[in-house]
Amino acid sequence: MMWRRFRRSKLALIALFYVGVVVLIAICAPLLTSDPNNVDLASRLRPPDRTHRLGTDDLGRDVLARVIHGARVSLSVGFAATAISLIIGSFLGALAGYYGGAADWFVSRVIEVVLCFPFLLLVLAIVALFGPSFLTVMIALGLTSWTTEARFMRGEFLRIREMEFAQAARASGARDARIIFRHLLPNAIAPVLVSASFGVAAAILTESALSFLGLGVPPPTPTWGNILSTAQQHIDYAWWLALFPGVAIFLTVAAFNIIGDRVRDALDPRSE
Amino acid sequence: MGSYIVRRLLYGVLTFFGITLAVFILVHSVPGDPISFYISQHMTHLSQPALDAIRHEHHLDEPFIAQYLYWLRDAVFLNFGNSILDHRRVTDRILEKLPHTIELNAIAFLLAAAIGVPIGLWSAARSGRPVERASAVLFFLLYSLPSFWVALLLMEFFSVKLGILPLFGMTSDDYFELSNAQKLLDHARHLVLPVVTLAYAQMAIFARFSKSALTEVIRQDYITTARAKGVAPQRVLWRHAFRNALIPLITLLGLTIPYLISGSIIVEDIFQWDGIGRLYFTSILSRDYPTVLGLTVATAVITLISGLLADVLYAFADPRIRFEAAR
Repeated sequence: MMWRRFRRSKLALIALFYVGVVVLIAICAPLLTSDPNNVDLASRLRPPDRTHRLGTDDLGRDVLARVIHGARVSLSVGFAATAISLIIGSFLGALAGYYGGAADWFVSRVIEVVLCFPFLLLVLAIVALFGPSFLTVMIALGLTSWTTEARFMRGEFLRIREMEFAQAARASGARDARIIFRHLLPNAIAPVLVSASFGVAAAILTESALSFLGLGVPPPTPTWGNILSTAQQHIDYAWWLALFPGVAIFLTVAAFNIIGDRVRDALDPRSE
Repeated sequence: MGSYIVRRLLYGVLTFFGITLAVFILVHSVPGDPISFYISQHMTHLSQPALDAIRHEHHLDEPFIAQYLYWLRDAVFLNFGNSILDHRRVTDRILEKLPHTIELNAIAFLLAAAIGVPIGLWSAARSGRPVERASAVLFFLLYSLPSFWVALLLMEFFSVKLGILPLFGMTSDDYFELSNAQKLLDHARHLVLPVVTLAYAQMAIFARFSKSALTEVIRQDYITTARAKGVAPQRVLWRHAFRNALIPLITLLGLTIPYLISGSIIVEDIFQWDGIGRLYFTSILSRDYPTVLGLTVATAVITLISGLLADVLYAFADPRIRFEAAR
């Protein structure tokens, strides 16, 4: 039913197809290109031509190979960070919504505190304090972005916890943990997944900003953000360095945002 | 009404303690104490008793809770100690840079609101038509553009290729030799690119937000009633719908402040704008912990206060909130 409504949007299908292609490219990256870290100082900062379709960077590395390999970092950080925030957010949101009272009060106060911090500030602080690496970037993003998921999950739990199927489970003597995870969670997950799609988009955007600022996954690992920071140093000359990784970030982030938006529309009974 | 505000303020105080505790825990979960890092960089020759004396002076030899309370005692008065770099008070350093950031963000905020809100309301009034659908997609695309990339492209085009706007900085090198009118113009020219970079995404947010606010209002029963009793469609929009759609925009005030501060870090770094975003980033790189801590707490408190302000304003604007709170 949801899929049928989602399918009606051509744009959403294109976005989904695009994400599929990028995931495939990221998985097959080593098969598709030469080594992205292959330094060739003789041909540094070359504009796009036959051998280097998207040009070369300041160390003569092939930009196409680096952009393709950059997809691996962006997607894996995006998905992993979102998975972390989904787990934390769903757990706390479910507790708050199911038990209400003191649990709800406490979780709501924690969310208020987290929301007071400017997102990028906190992420930068965590990454800088613990040293930039794939793991810290992922954890920093996950730890700071779970509040949306928590609020959605809390709302859903408040809505469904007194429904008949939940009462039936309770009447048949199921333990709280079983009611939460087996009965309520599967019925509450759909709106949370919408926010997860936006979450992947935001995580990819932030990861690239961190890389751009020099506090992301450290070089020589190619990321879309760190190609752009090289571009900044050669802004008066190497336009191809600035153009292609930016397009890659933009299209991927836009695709996840569009998918999230259309799934939300498909779930919303009021929209026609 | 009064009790609602009091309760909101009490929660605000509680949130403040939460903020300080969160920052303190974050910093203390880093391996090694700050002094050992500081010393290994600057004073390798210090003896063990001297180290212990420094630790004692900064209360680092006391239990975690005691350390937190010492720090909190100062933090309540927004005193975050001195910078490791130039030994000036962190509060002074922040206050010195803050006006630059406020200038940049206030202009971007007003510009984004002045363009975004009318576009959002206009497209909601055309709900369901191709124009509305196209604009929704456009907002999304704008919102998905990485700001540092937009900044690079703007610099590439307007500064490098056309050469009509300065690449970065707040003023030109020869600023002090200019007349007052020229000074103003020079500064304005430096403002253009950073303001545009900050404003475009906010504009998309304002447009989306005001659009969904108006769409929500149009679905309400009182709009149907107005239509049913024969009020002209234009009048329904202007008299009944628009005014109510503007109320939720107040919450944007509280929501966009942290977003603006995040954006300032990137924009101020790229355009070398000498505000608190750049101060934060350089402090992070040079591991100037007192400044990093001070700015983190200060920006969180600014967010907290603007959120409180938005909630109180909202209660004034929308009587339903007051009644609900009074129940």
